[in-house]
Amino acid sequence: MAKIELTGVTKRFGKMTALNDINLEIRNNEFFVLFGPAGAGKTTLLNSIAGIQLPEQGVIKFDGEIINKIDPAHRNVAVVFENYALYPNLTVYKNIASPLRSPLYKKDRETIDKEVKRVAAMLRIEKLLDRLPSQLSNGQRQRVAIGRALVRSPRVFLMDEPLAHLDAKLRHYMRSELKEMQSSFNSTCIYVTHDFMEAMSLGDRIAIINQGRIVQIGTREEVYYMPCNEFVAALVGEPEINFVEGRLVKQDEECFVQIMNLDLISVPQGHELENRLCSGEITELHLGFRPQNLKYCFEEKKGCLHGTVYSFESIGNKAVLIAKAGDTLLRMIAPNDLKVKLDQDVFIELPIEKAIFFDARTTDYIGIFDEEAVRRLSQEPQCREVI
Amino acid sequence: MKKKKIFTSICKNGLLLLYSLFALFPLFWMILISFKSDAQMFNTTFIFSPTLENYDAVLLRTNYFRYFKDSVIVSVCAVAVSVLAGVPAAYALARYNFKKKEDLAFQILSFKFAPEILVVLPLFMIYQKAGLYDTYTGLIWVYQLITMPLLIWVIRGYFEDISVEIEHAAQVDGYSWWQVFLKRLLPLIKPGLVSASLLAFIFAWNNFTFPLQLSGTKVETITVASLKYIASDTVHYGQMAVAAAVSALPAVIFALLIQKHLVRGLSFGAVKG
Amino acid sequence: MAKLIIKNLYKRYGNKKKRGEQNNDFAVNDLTLKCEDGEFIGILGPSGCGKTTTLRMIAGLEEITRGDIYIGEQKVNELHPKDRSIGLAFEDYALYPPLTVYDNIAFNLKAKGLSRDRIREQVMAIAPLLKVEDLLDKMPVSLSGGQKQRVNIARAIVRRPGLLLLDEPLSHLDGKMRQSLRMEIKRLHNEIKCTSVYVTHDQLEAMSLADRIAIMDLGVLQQFGTPMEVYDNPANEFVAGFIGEPPMNLLKTTIIHHDSDFYFTFADSDLRILVPKRYYGKVHDGMQVKMGVRPTDVYIGGPDSKGTPVKVAVFEDLCNERRIGIRVGDELVMMITEDETRYRHGDQVKLEVNGEKTHLFDLETGNRIRG
Repeated sequence: MAKIELTGVTKRFGKMTALNDINLEIRNNEFFVLFGPAGAGKTTLLNSIAGIQLPEQGVIKFDGEIINKIDPAHRNVAVVFENYALYPNLTVYKNIASPLRSPLYKKDRETIDKEVKRVAAMLRIEKLLDRLPSQLSNGQRQRVAIGRALVRSPRVFLMDEPLAHLDAKLRHYMRSELKEMQSSFNSTCIYVTHDFMEAMSLGDRIAIINQGRIVQIGTREEVYYMPCNEFVAALVGEPEINFVEGRLVKQDEECFVQIMNLDLISVPQGHELENRLCSGEITELHLGFRPQNLKYCFEEKKGCLHGTVYSFESIGNKAVLIAKAGDTLLRMIAPNDLKVKLDQDVFIELPIEKAIFFDARTTDYIGIFDEEAVRRLSQEPQCREVI
Repeated sequence: MKKKKIFTSICKNGLLLLYSLFALFPLFWMILISFKSDAQMFNTTFIFSPTLENYDAVLLRTNYFRYFKDSVIVSVCAVAVSVLAGVPAAYALARYNFKKKEDLAFQILSFKFAPEILVVLPLFMIYQKAGLYDTYTGLIWVYQLITMPLLIWVIRGYFEDISVEIEHAAQVDGYSWWQVFLKRLLPLIKPGLVSASLLAFIFAWNNFTFPLQLSGTKVETITVASLKYIASDTVHYGQMAVAAAVSALPAVIFALLIQKHLVRGLSFGAVKG
Repeated sequence: MAKLIIKNLYKRYGNKKKRGEQNNDFAVNDLTLKCEDGEFIGILGPSGCGKTTTLRMIAGLEEITRGDIYIGEQKVNELHPKDRSIGLAFEDYALYPPLTVYDNIAFNLKAKGLSRDRIREQVMAIAPLLKVEDLLDKMPVSLSGGQKQRVNIARAIVRRPGLLLLDEPLSHLDGKMRQSLRMEIKRLHNEIKCTSVYVTHDQLEAMSLADRIAIMDLGVLQQFGTPMEVYDNPANEFVAGFIGEPPMNLLKTTIIHHDSDFYFTFADSDLRILVPKRYYGKVHDGMQVKMGVRPTDVYIGGPDSKGTPVKVAVFEDLCNERRIGIRVGDELVMMITEDETRYRHGDQVKLEVNGEKTHLFDLETGNRIRG
């Protein structure tokens, strides 16, 4: 367990700045997710916390103690590397046992044997203990790498996309195992992923990172319902959020919003959102609609946007219907067995009370209708079983 | 189709057989005449009565083993120094980025390009002045020109092929840098280290120019000493054959030992991308 | 364009340590597949199931132990890969570092001895399909993962092969890039209709791209059907549990007969679920089977529901959906819903199961019992 603080951390590789003034505070025993696109700096950040890389600027603290100068071995962290980093000449057993044989964390033979077997059973690789890494498939190698990290009880677990190469079924199983283990271990865990569902399901808090900067830190609700800009809104959500053009129209002291070419909708007065929209200089808006909130129908309906069917793709237990309205593509959720024809007419309802308002010029977040509700949701802990 | 395959197979094997006869015959002949007495040297070819008198003359009645010992000391120590200095150097070249790194690497490699006879004269003068002439240290030092570039070149390739994340993983596991090097890295470069060291040993052992010019009577390697067996009045071919055959022995034995690993060990790091 | 026929294909590795988990000597065991001209086939399965080995045998990179492979009308068992009219796009790109993107794509054409103009014509025809026209002068080292993969695929199809073989091309890309490249591949296939074989362990990729999916486990083909077929009518327990995210709920159950109806009962639980009528002829009192139902086919009933009363054990709000878990004995039954009601641990709710979508699997063989 450890509280981790990063202040002003900057890391450069030659001319390239991998981490740019990172400020983070990770709470004790938190399952903290780092989420972002490829090349954002997630691995560099993890390496800096592990001690593998030394930042040019900034301070890293574990439980209030500055650890910049402490080497990785003494930081008492466990790392699951993205490329596994298994020792090629050691068997799976010896790979997993490696931390418990090191001079710093040495344990006696029985304990080592017990722990290795326990971890191997959990990862379902008990039958592979005598193999060499070159004789394993990718998924098996990944599990060995996870095993090597789990065999100890370090202060911090640092996991760099540990489930990336596993099939859906195994990923699902491993996700719940990892989460359960982390809470029973009392360890802080920093988990890097680019899988949105994984981030939402595992993280107590999520940090969105892009091009070496932390863009937003928040709970899953905050990041999903109140993304701080369009980049975060597009990143967090599957299928991707829809952005629709809108305008703010002021008539007689009242504010109206016009979505594309539809009728004006009035903004309820006294609302926090109304203050932000109407008192500012903003005129051009982008409204973000999550695909789950859009409704479609095939008969003309008042107040609905008219479009044509652009594509229909099944994604497992549901399907994505994409409609084209003018230049805009709108993604919506539909049942798998919906019968549609390409270029068929479709009418889309855009519920303004579910929209996320962005300033079209700066792409920054303006507001949503009910921020209070989101904050309340954030406070509620996920309900997990008490066994 | 099959006939053609058999025919090409016979041709290929035939050519290989011819070539191996060509390459091995001198060695075979040398061993053969080492067992021939002087009397029978010119009037017999393959049929003769073998005798050990040449072996007796060379090995027991001269200082042969002293020269053999000098060769062993110089070659083994030269390789040892190359390994101790070369492996860390190879690691540095593989892992760190510093100005003019590739220039430095090339410079080290270029030592092997220079013909020995070219550098030996200036070295002779320097050695005389520095008091290194005819010493073990002097030879061991100059042998680095032959042994070190090879070692650094091969081992660097090996280090480059080991993902740096393995070192990180070992550090996180709780090993100090030194333990990471000894316990995790060394086993992985072992094939290359062994093959390169043995090859370097063979080069050092066979070297003639440096001990000839930079060494006199106190330190005499077997290559130089073999000249003695070409006597000024008569040539005792049998004795010369013994001297040559026995001196070739270590090189041959080592080459046989590492032949399986030689190609793999030396070319492992060659292909990148 | 060519069709692909695989007949009774076997692969055994000489060195037993290589693959064979669980005493299975064969990496590929009696595989038979027939793909039509222009079809997009997915080979899906967990790691180590033999899918990459199969692809490599189709490509000619691995020797066939037994069986035949036909590309078009020609048996290709003994043919060198370059004579098989195939295009390969493997997961690790392997672009030639010193060549520009243009030269990388043109490489195969140059090797064939085509004229400069013909090469240019073909490369420029392919480039827009994969959106790499702007990258033609760049070097591989300056490209992102997604761009490299697109160049990789362009290189594979520039020769207009009869068969396109892709081995996990998206596995090294991050979430967003994977989504967009998936759409690109789908659009590409719609345009050029090249017979394609796509190997992956990601069931979503297979479901969204393939016309038909071949699911393999431990070298054995489990089912070969359209995405809808494998989703709605899985041949056995393995397929049922592998396709679909989150995985299908699979529960061991004992069927009892009560008042002219059959019910599913579960160990260490009071839960009782009505067996769908269409199975009545196939079940008997005391029969033990595995019951499977997808998380989307389990609901929490409204206030008037006649569903079974249960208690909520787990509730997860993932913002775009909610996941509720009901404990049944040792197992957890998961359901997904977009309904925004929130629950707490211990809440009493009514559980409803969509009878149409409930499957029964034989306990020993794992095969689906048809109703």
